[in-house]
Amino acid sequence: MALDVGKFIKAPEYDIKIITRRDVFQASVCEEDCFSDECLELSALIVLDAAEMKRMGIQDGANVRLTSIWGSVVVRAMASPREEQKGLGFMVNGPWVNALVSDETPGGIPAFKDIEVKISISKDGMTGIKELFLL
Amino acid sequence: MEMTEPITWTCTGCALLCEDIQVYIKDNRVEKVEHACLKGKARVYGCKHTAMSTVDQEEVDVNNAIRQAAEILEEARNPLLYGWSNSTSEAQVAGIELAQTLGACIDSTSSFCQGITINEIINGSVPSCTLDEVREKADVVIYWGADPMSSHPRHLSRYSYFPRGELRQRGYEEDRTAICIDVTQSRTAKICKGMFFSIPPGGDAEFMQALMDGLAGRVPKLSYDFDVKRILELAAVLKKAEFGVIFAGLGLVYSIKEEFDLISEFMSTLNRFSNFFLIPMAGHFNMRGFNHNLHEETGFIHRVGFTKNGPVSGVEYSVVEQLKHGADAVMVVGSDPLASLPLSISRRLKDIPLILVDPCSNLTTRVADVTIPCGVSGIEVGGTAIRLDGKKMDISPLIQGDGLSDEMIVRRIMEEVS
Repeated sequence: MALDVGKFIKAPEYDIKIITRRDVFQASVCEEDCFSDECLELSALIVLDAAEMKRMGIQDGANVRLTSIWGSVVVRAMASPREEQKGLGFMVNGPWVNALVSDETPGGIPAFKDIEVKISISKDGMTGIKELFLL
Repeated sequence: MEMTEPITWTCTGCALLCEDIQVYIKDNRVEKVEHACLKGKARVYGCKHTAMSTVDQEEVDVNNAIRQAAEILEEARNPLLYGWSNSTSEAQVAGIELAQTLGACIDSTSSFCQGITINEIINGSVPSCTLDEVREKADVVIYWGADPMSSHPRHLSRYSYFPRGELRQRGYEEDRTAICIDVTQSRTAKICKGMFFSIPPGGDAEFMQALMDGLAGRVPKLSYDFDVKRILELAAVLKKAEFGVIFAGLGLVYSIKEEFDLISEFMSTLNRFSNFFLIPMAGHFNMRGFNHNLHEETGFIHRVGFTKNGPVSGVEYSVVEQLKHGADAVMVVGSDPLASLPLSISRRLKDIPLILVDPCSNLTTRVADVTIPCGVSGIEVGGTAIRLDGKKMDISPLIQGDGLSDEMIVRRIMEEVS
């Protein structure tokens, strides 16, 4: 049997900052059913600048692993239709991005819009909601 | 299909509380909804999985669940009552009474949302106005760290940009200037066209300072790359405004949360030249109601602990600090903290007794020791709520629900505790 050497090679990691935001489509779908596939599709998603994705070797629609010191999730990467600031990624508020947020809360407010993570291409499937919470 | 007469309904999909929604009801079911946005429709049609009455994840009679909840709260030395932004003011007032009875902490989602802004407005440090005034008078609107097209979909069409108003008969085409200051070109920023100002994350305070310099005729200085001429042009637009409004989003609030006095300084500077107001972009339909109701009772808007010496407030009474190292039992009303708080903090909910009062089955339901289903506020339960601009609104139920309201559940728990 041929050895899959690729799986032993660690994908390169890049530092980015995640900023959370709202999305009416995700909010309405998740209000109806937070366990649905549609809610997963619209929540486990990171939007990045297209040129940045190219630089990092990430294809539009590919799965990426996001890792902070607080947690790690696999989500889908999507190219922004417009130019974004370099080094930024955007995710809608929800359990996936919240898995990465620090427990340090100066002023009683978590850093929802200042989440430092490492991003790398992943061959794993998107992190499911039950996996995320060990339900 | 036989069409019934529509009911005019106030939507509880978000804190805009749109009061022009037309709903057709047949046999106590919603048949059709008109005028509502996606969020509003999702609210009206409700969740797919409704909550059940459970203790230790086993289905029980609701009376047993209420008794068990009361027992948990009575036994706790430091209970926390949290949520409240999806409840009517009547339920919130009952919750405040319960917290007082228990000597508990009480906090709402405003604790990590717009509470800090609402506090400035209630205390009179920052001038604010109503959305109706915005519609009738506003000629300059700034969406700062806010994207209402994604969070409050009818904001621009009902109030802030598109409508004709008493003093704005030529509407957005000629009479209104929309400005967006944000880190990304959001859906709202696209509408603002040439008036989108892209700033780096955390760059809001400096931008605000630069604008104040521009207003005062000084050359603005910034540590990041930004065309100073554009800031001077923006300052000129703000100076000429007859009725200006800043819609403060979480992008702004989180960015300057540790130097929030800058907001009142900025508004004072602006109003030396112009006439500006600030409105917080509160999300949940009655988040602001909680702040007003608690303020009326205690003088504080959130993060309150009821001690032997009376109510006290501080960051140590905030939901996040209480979850990290304080509360030994939690009752959540109308919220899903497992979904909305950092997992690094919310995972402690698995380790302490947890009661959830909610119409829907959500992530928090899965780890709750007691769940008590309640009617949906604004759909099965009526009352009052406070819109994001501070206006009190009546909320009428659409259909007859089977279950208890959250207010009734809280009052039943209070009877058991008493």
